[in-house]
Amino acid sequence: MFSLVLGRLTASVVALFGASVLAFVVLRVTPGDPARLFLGPFATEETVAELRRKLGLEMPLVEQYVNYIADFLQGDWGFSYTTGETVAVQLARRFPATIELGLYAFILAFVFAVGLALVAAYRRGSPSDGAIRALSFFGLGVPPFWFGLIALVVFFEQFGWLPGPDGRLDLARDPPPDVTGLFTVDALIAGQFATLGDALLHLVLPAITLGLLPFAFLLRLLRANLLDVSREPFITVARSKGMSRWGAFLKHALPNAFLPTLTAAGLLLGQLLAGSVLVEKVFNWPGAGLLVTDGILRQDFSVVQAFILLSAVVYVVANLIVDILTGVIDPRVRQPARLG
Amino acid sequence: MADANAAFTSPRDRLAEWGGTAVDLGGAAGRACGYVARDPVLAIVAVVLGLLALIALFGPEVWGIDPLSIDLLVSLEGPSWAHPMGTDGNGRDVFARFLQGARISLSVGALVVITGLVVGGTMGLMAGISGRVVDNILMRVIDALAAFPPLILAMAITVGLGVGLDTGAFGIMLTSVPYYARLIRSDVVRIRALPAIEAAVAMGASRPRVVLRHIVPHTTSTMLIQSAAVFGYAILTLAALGFVGLGAQIPEPEWGAMITDGLQYALTGQWWIAVFPGLGVLLAVVATNMLADRARDLLDPHGQQASV
Repeated sequence: MFSLVLGRLTASVVALFGASVLAFVVLRVTPGDPARLFLGPFATEETVAELRRKLGLEMPLVEQYVNYIADFLQGDWGFSYTTGETVAVQLARRFPATIELGLYAFILAFVFAVGLALVAAYRRGSPSDGAIRALSFFGLGVPPFWFGLIALVVFFEQFGWLPGPDGRLDLARDPPPDVTGLFTVDALIAGQFATLGDALLHLVLPAITLGLLPFAFLLRLLRANLLDVSREPFITVARSKGMSRWGAFLKHALPNAFLPTLTAAGLLLGQLLAGSVLVEKVFNWPGAGLLVTDGILRQDFSVVQAFILLSAVVYVVANLIVDILTGVIDPRVRQPARLG
Repeated sequence: MADANAAFTSPRDRLAEWGGTAVDLGGAAGRACGYVARDPVLAIVAVVLGLLALIALFGPEVWGIDPLSIDLLVSLEGPSWAHPMGTDGNGRDVFARFLQGARISLSVGALVVITGLVVGGTMGLMAGISGRVVDNILMRVIDALAAFPPLILAMAITVGLGVGLDTGAFGIMLTSVPYYARLIRSDVVRIRALPAIEAAVAMGASRPRVVLRHIVPHTTSTMLIQSAAVFGYAILTLAALGFVGLGAQIPEPEWGAMITDGLQYALTGQWWIAVFPGLGVLLAVVATNMLADRARDLLDPHGQQASV
């Protein structure tokens, strides 16, 4: 177990080091001159040269890389050229909105994927199985931002059932007192049920849109795993003891089908992170993803760069945790026998 | 791959068979037609992909309207005979843009598949046949590439190298490399242990001959399945990059950028500007994903799952 943790930890650190070099090379070395970009086309050569010195752009590359990483680790991620605020402050303010959206998207995706995968595997080959598989193909193939747009056209513009793309609450409503930053939780704590309802209504379409890809991905994986497990001898044993088919599925097949799904949890987090950039733009959801797309629009790339490296860190750490958890749960993984 | 009675054939025949079945392309084409004829879903998928390919190849010339020509007098008109998909805010013909978008998306998809296959496949093959040192170095490079969520890495590339369709395509190509490299490496490691390889070595085949004639052909089905999956992934990611403003830029008739352009009109009733390009992405990606899925069932029933 110890060697597993150590091995995965080393691999993650090496991957992160490689990723940070990649990010450094791509984001710091290749683009034109950051000093020129900051000062604009009318600044004199001397001012640009002075700023280059101040920003440390004249130092050797290795030194620049070390400074870049040191700054990043200290939370010094630069400042926005357009608002003057530091990137860390901006991102910190926006993250609760992204986390709330991601949380609801994940809950929706998980609940529906488990339910539908059970039905599909239980009735494999039936029309309902076919419909569920078609749904997963749709979820994997539809561009999330386009799906969100269609959902808005139908449920907001046509029928007026759900709120439009105006953020987390109606414009006239004040946010609940800040405790966790998640409006639904904060409203519940403060007992403001009207605000809670409003926040939930605003979450419906964005959460479904963001959850669609993880949902389809999980559904496909779970269905395949359930079918695999349901052919195992221990399912036959459970059935021959007189257990009902549903009972065997729920009690024996489902828990065993979850394990391969756990290894995909890191991928799911990556989908949610990348998806937030796409979905928040459609719904004007004031989260970190919208900060990134706004930054792109205004050519203000410091936020974008911080978000990119930050997502690599989150992604690698999540995958590391998943690997170790899998080892804890499944003794077979702990064996050092690695062929491929 | 070998027949049930392969144990009764001579080693030389067996070797020929093991080396030969995987690259029997003439037979494969015949079999593919047979599969399509027997499988209605596969037939629909083939028709959709064929139509999209035709549109991408000949559409813009046949329709003949410039996807960039502005005519403010007919801006924001709904679908009609003159403009089957309506016109956008500057009076550009959405159908002409849709056709050109198909050409852009499908060619980027093909480009990503080819370059990803060559680069990632070579890395995977090298890692698989080399000793621990080379294997380790190559796989650590792959780990670094895979340390980013795919879309985020493509975004990083375009932010660094400058926004645009070509840098976007390059970024997507780079994100496809780990998928190929990891899959083909594990395939090669598996194949290396096959008796056929041992036999080839025992019969005095040179190392390049063993690799090219006996190992590479066995990865064909993995490469085909993975390429179908990557093709769909590339189209979807290209649209996503165009949508956030890091890929193709707005007047360019790329499907993702067209959706961004249509965003502002969608909630005031002019749905056609964003809906049709999104439909194009949906059709292309779902069709290739289904093709990859079926190809996996047919070519590699016990193999690993290709996925993106």
